[in-house]
Amino acid sequence: MRQFRIQYFLISFLAIVLLPSCAVKTVSGFKEIKKEGVYEVSYFSDKATDYVYKAHISIYGKDFGGIFIAKKINDSIYRTAFTTEFGNKLFDFEISDNSFKVNYILEEMDKKIIVNTLKRDFMLLLKQEHSYDNKYESSGFEVYKSEDNKRYNYLFLDAESNRLVKLVNATKGKEKIEIIYVPESSILARNIVIDHKNIKLKIELNFIQ
Amino acid sequence: MKNSIICMFFLLTVFTINAQEQKMTAAEITAFKNGVINVSKNTKTLTADFTQFKHMDFLSNDIETSGKMNFKFPDMLLWQYTKPYSYSVAFKKNKVSVNDAGKKSEMDLSSSKMFAKLNGLIVGTVNGNMFDENEFAISYFKTAEYNISKLVPKDATLKKYIKQVELYFDKKGSMVSQVKMIEPSGDYTTIVFKNKVANASIPDSVFSN
Repeated sequence: MRQFRIQYFLISFLAIVLLPSCAVKTVSGFKEIKKEGVYEVSYFSDKATDYVYKAHISIYGKDFGGIFIAKKINDSIYRTAFTTEFGNKLFDFEISDNSFKVNYILEEMDKKIIVNTLKRDFMLLLKQEHSYDNKYESSGFEVYKSEDNKRYNYLFLDAESNRLVKLVNATKGKEKIEIIYVPESSILARNIVIDHKNIKLKIELNFIQ
Repeated sequence: MKNSIICMFFLLTVFTINAQEQKMTAAEITAFKNGVINVSKNTKTLTADFTQFKHMDFLSNDIETSGKMNFKFPDMLLWQYTKPYSYSVAFKKNKVSVNDAGKKSEMDLSSSKMFAKLNGLIVGTVNGNMFDENEFAISYFKTAEYNISKLVPKDATLKKYIKQVELYFDKKGSMVSQVKMIEPSGDYTTIVFKNKVANASIPDSVFSN
């Protein structure tokens, strides 16, 4: 028993000591600048725009498509919905920076693992304000690091255009979700790819309206 | 989930038709049904252009998509979106194949009773021969331009997805010219058919994706 405790202690100790060496690679080699502030994502921010995208979802080798819709309905809340190409609604959520409500979800999709994945992805995509506590720089990018619910968001801005081009959601040691944006204007990304690093799930969105 | 996705497909929609609707008399209903059944019996093939409008209450504008439809008696259907993206679904006997901008997938419907039902519904929607009182509670209306049948599903599963299907028939040709599918939420999809051509020769190869 005593030996077991010692082993346990040693393992814990080693884990703590070694942990920093497995730190997330997202900004390794970047120049760190101590800076705090709030970064506001301007994509999806225009209340007059219906953000309608053709979606391709690839999950564990299976592909399917649909239409992704997001609309800012007031200063803090988005309605977001997903339909088939034929117009049938698969889900309809209400999302703000700190709330999530299911208005509708197709019964067959109403499973905890699916709802939680959709919740995480779309709350991340539609998050408007990121309070950052650190900034990094490298050639071509400025990066804001923001704490988000036991994880971290790294927001990559193109240094020249100052537009958001990538968002990495990571734990202390591992990247979990990466969102790549191809900007059309300050309020619109014409192509968005949400790629999961821990599960085989990739969502690609192409603006159509 | 795929079942539902495809099924939903047929739950298409209608445009707001502003002309006043009147209930048909019993004699008018009989004459109307006979006309539709007669035309659908003599329709061996049908091609048409279609425009689809997806209405969601929270959007500023309906989502508009359009394409071409090919039907061949008794059970082949190609539904092809060309604008603003390329996406097509082919129904051939018990097989459904999808071509999503080059990404292809296929599924077998024979194992699903629900699907068989839906397949019947699809074909019924295209040729208008949907007078099955066991499946739907049906009511009949007329305007100066259209004969209208409104179908409320009786099947509990179908009911979850569709509140009502409305079929608008040209008075002249007894063919479906608009379909409106209303979801339980009240959001709806309208499909308007144009340039209908009946009984032109269509090779079977058209129905492979």
